[in-house]
Amino acid sequence: MAAMLETDGLVAGYEPGLPIVRGASIRVEPQEIVVILGPNWAGKSSLIKAIAGLVPISGGAVRLAGAEITRVPAHRMVQAGLAFVPQTENVFPLLSVQDNLRVSAGGLPRAETAARIEEMFALFPDLARQRRLMAGSLSGGQRQMLAAARALIVRPRVLMLDEPSAGLSPKFVEMVFARLAEIRRGGVTVVLVEQNARAALAIGDRAYVLVEGRVAHEAPAATLWDDPVVAELYLGQRSDGGGR
Amino acid sequence: MTLQFLLNGLIEGSMIGLGAIGVTLTYAILRFSNFAHGDFMAWGAYSTLMLVGLIGSAVGTVAPIGPLSFGWPLILAGLGGMVFTGCLALLLDWLLFARLRARGQAIVVVMASFGASMALRNLLEFAFTSSPTYFSRKIQIARPIGLGIRITPDQTVLLGMTLVLVVGMHLLMTYSRTGREMKAVSQNPALARVVGIDLDRIVRMTWLIGGALASAAGLMVGVLVQIRPLMGLDMLLPMFAAAILGGIGSVPGAVLGGLVIGLSQAASVQLVGAEWRQAVAFVILVAVLLVRPTGLFGVQER
Repeated sequence: MAAMLETDGLVAGYEPGLPIVRGASIRVEPQEIVVILGPNWAGKSSLIKAIAGLVPISGGAVRLAGAEITRVPAHRMVQAGLAFVPQTENVFPLLSVQDNLRVSAGGLPRAETAARIEEMFALFPDLARQRRLMAGSLSGGQRQMLAAARALIVRPRVLMLDEPSAGLSPKFVEMVFARLAEIRRGGVTVVLVEQNARAALAIGDRAYVLVEGRVAHEAPAATLWDDPVVAELYLGQRSDGGGR
Repeated sequence: MTLQFLLNGLIEGSMIGLGAIGVTLTYAILRFSNFAHGDFMAWGAYSTLMLVGLIGSAVGTVAPIGPLSFGWPLILAGLGGMVFTGCLALLLDWLLFARLRARGQAIVVVMASFGASMALRNLLEFAFTSSPTYFSRKIQIARPIGLGIRITPDQTVLLGMTLVLVVGMHLLMTYSRTGREMKAVSQNPALARVVGIDLDRIVRMTWLIGGALASAAGLMVGVLVQIRPLMGLDMLLPMFAAAILGGIGSVPGAVLGGLVIGLSQAASVQLVGAEWRQAVAFVILVAVLLVRPTGLFGVQER
């Protein structure tokens, strides 16, 4: 059976000849939560950005449910069923919460868009109260909620998030991860790049550890935390949260 | 002192404002100052003139509508001119700007727009000479409307046209999918791609709208003043001043900015003398940049 999302020896980077992702192969099964970990500058963010079509790919392949999506332009990924939530600047600050969702609903018919927006507000009740507010005036946690709602509105098959907990208070981190577990129960496959390894592994099924743009280790999330190999790869960077 | 300057300012402001919408959208979405925008106005006026001539040669002389100086051929030609100029802007982007944009250096694109501006202007001078021409040489009688202000029928109709275009643009930006997508692209192009917005489509829409509105402004100048190859160049500084005064990216801001500049220019003619007229836009521009760099409706980005 085909994986939901698969990369095969993916090579990608902004500058030609200077790849950041150097032959990364990952496989994500339907409805899994897969966490991508690794030391700073390991190419974690670049990997999912390349999958999303935002970092030029120079080698390898990306497949979504068996269909090749390597080098599909970023704006067509949504139609293909792949949604991405960037780490920062992931909402349109000068559009209202409602318009952020509306502009992300793309080609959905008007009535369906309205219905989907209400479903998103049901999933994130905090946002419903702020629907007419400019997204730029939301708190950090609310912004992450809006960014997730924005990605989910098109019913993606795979949701990729780049450090959703960065800069959030512990209370919000807990809330964001609880929501992600809920989203997975709704049938969405989740790929997560996270510095906050402890919180991410708590909800994840499996994890990949990326080092220098390649997969250095793969393990079930539950056992990874106690794995000596990982401890070594992380070189003592087992801090919860923190910088990039 | 009479209050006539208010009307003159309103009309001048409408011309500036219509042009400034294109300037502000190009700046917000493509992130460069298009110095060829004024020449779109001139090309709009000349293409409308050519179309009027074509219609005239096909159907013969058409009587003007009521007290106006023009008949239905100009209205039809005006719409044709808007389409033509929108397409001209698209063509220029495809030939020049898109290629340079792909290399990623904004300043190169700005410089290229200087060159494009000169080329467009000289083509007009080559084809039509630099002497002014008119849509109609008919004298219009200005009628008093109170407070010592007089207005001609042409002015009334063209102010009405401006109002319709501006309200239409505002509705488009606020309530249509394209308008929302244009705003999204201007705020964050990378995120816009992530949410599924086709950047190329939005860029094309921006050029079409900007070119068409510049053509409408050119028509207005042509009917109320005269048609010259340099007409757009003269409007360039006031248009940029209006766009910056209103806040880059804001359609109502550009129009309001245009009205402020137009009224100030008209007032300066009466208060300090006509030779200072051109300086007013410049002074306002500098003052806004010093006091409120984001403009009236602008918001500090990130």
